[in-house]
Amino acid sequence: MTAARLGHQNLGLGVGLRSVHFGHILQHWPAVDWFEIISENYIDTQGRPRYVLDQIAERYPLVMHGVSLSIGSTDPLDFEYLAKLKRLAGEIDARWISDHLCWTGVAGRNSHDLLPIPYNEESLAHVVARIKTVQEFLERPLVLEDPSSYVTFAASTMTEWEFLSAMANEADCGLLLDVNNVYVSGVNHDFDPAEYVRGVPHERIVQFHLAGHTNMGDYCIDTHDAAVIDPVWRLYQLAHELTGGASTLLEWDANIPPFDVMHAEVLKARGHITAQGGESPEPITTKSADAPAPHPLHFVTPEIE
Amino acid sequence: MSDPHPLMTLQRWMQSVITNPRGISAGIDNAAARQWIDVASDDVEQVIGRSQKRTSIERLQVYGNAYFARLVECMREQFPALCETLGQELFDGFALDYLDKRPSTSYTLSRLADRFVPHLETTRPAAESAAPGWADFLIDLASFEWSVAQTFDAPGTEQSGVITPDDLAQVSPDDWPQTRLIAAPCLRLHAYRFPVNAYFSDFRAGRPLSIPPAAATWLALSRREYIVRRIPLDESEFLLLQSLLAGQSVGAAIEAAAEQSADFDAFARNLPHWFQRFAGEGFFTKLVKP
Repeated sequence: MTAARLGHQNLGLGVGLRSVHFGHILQHWPAVDWFEIISENYIDTQGRPRYVLDQIAERYPLVMHGVSLSIGSTDPLDFEYLAKLKRLAGEIDARWISDHLCWTGVAGRNSHDLLPIPYNEESLAHVVARIKTVQEFLERPLVLEDPSSYVTFAASTMTEWEFLSAMANEADCGLLLDVNNVYVSGVNHDFDPAEYVRGVPHERIVQFHLAGHTNMGDYCIDTHDAAVIDPVWRLYQLAHELTGGASTLLEWDANIPPFDVMHAEVLKARGHITAQGGESPEPITTKSADAPAPHPLHFVTPEIE
Repeated sequence: MSDPHPLMTLQRWMQSVITNPRGISAGIDNAAARQWIDVASDDVEQVIGRSQKRTSIERLQVYGNAYFARLVECMREQFPALCETLGQELFDGFALDYLDKRPSTSYTLSRLADRFVPHLETTRPAAESAAPGWADFLIDLASFEWSVAQTFDAPGTEQSGVITPDDLAQVSPDDWPQTRLIAAPCLRLHAYRFPVNAYFSDFRAGRPLSIPPAAATWLALSRREYIVRRIPLDESEFLLLQSLLAGQSVGAAIEAAAEQSADFDAFARNLPHWFQRFAGEGFFTKLVKP
């Protein structure tokens, strides 16, 4: 029998560590339960981001969340990258390492986007084999997140939640359930997000993600640029009930507000999981021809005297 | 015959489609995509499903828009002064051409622009005269901004410490010529055809910008307390540091720099001040005595 959360501790309510908040954190050491980092922003730098990270690691639990593993790609795995992940995880005592069920590029290229795969037996066998290789190399279970997506493939033969379930069970890995992604993909692909949340293996959910998105009218974009909306909170509440709770993290990657605002947003989760509800903003709806970019990138700008 | 690697085929097709700068339909109909999946844009539902409200092409367009929009935004953040100089529309054109011709091959965005300066050098218009022109200024500025980012992430001296002016003063005159000075790993020396450092200061201060006249300038980029520092040098200082960084002893470095100096007396007079200044800026991490 699989232990709840693969045996990982419920770390509570955390926020994504973003460089614009470095100064605030170092000055105030806010009462945040834990931080999640974007792994790629720290595995190579020997400058200020790493210095700040080391100080934060002394005071808070940290989780590493990557965007470049490309577990679904048909290119070979990048073991130089994996070695860097493993080394950093050891140095900062990362509680777990996560990434996305996606591919980022092929033929040696990197789109720096989280691209979906068709959900069928071929993809499943491919991804499961790669997860096993990665887990053996990292010497720890991998935790994979459901992607927000904008296309589906004619070659798919199963739902995303069926694929995730089979993948997690066969590869013996953990899941990071991004309930905002479930909502966004549900709108984009005409499925019931509650059915998705009910359909994944709850004991394998190590972590939740929350975020805001942009409703474009006939589809949604995962923009991480706003507060969480009510339907996403309701999905979170359902997921919490089904899992018994897991570490919960708010992502905010564009139009990033002051730290206290971001922290207050994730703390609303307390109200939702105790069924007291909470205040939620109106959904952001736009019909602009200039669609915002999904999943904003995390480029750390240098600091110059 | 069935495709033995349909996932690989699908990924190569999709990558070709969404990274085509002429758009999704053009990308689907392009030979680069059709070598993988030979489907016309009108029939793309054979590959990409439609939703209740959106066509397959519209759905793919989200990825096509995102590919260039997200990476161009990163390029703007990496080269803010160059973007301001060119104006965003023109800068975006340069960035799009770069991303199209030299797409990212790295897992990290910090290397997204690692071939941008060589790309600009390769694609620049032919020089109209022997004197440096506006294209050279843009290349110098791009090179400067790229170097700032490299210095920011480089190994530094914050933990290891540096040689101080007092440390230098304690080296005996007899040992001094044969002493070697080990440079801070974040120290980089640059020679530019234009005063890009002063121009960058104007940019940072929000002062009006105009491309300055060509003038050779020399600059050290280093880091202190994790903040990138810009230290203007004169030519003799640059030459002296260049020899020291190449591993020459103090005596040999002085000799090499002095040979290229136009004013030997001034060179000799300034030498002690320069070494004190270099040490004060934290340029060296170690003294190796003979």
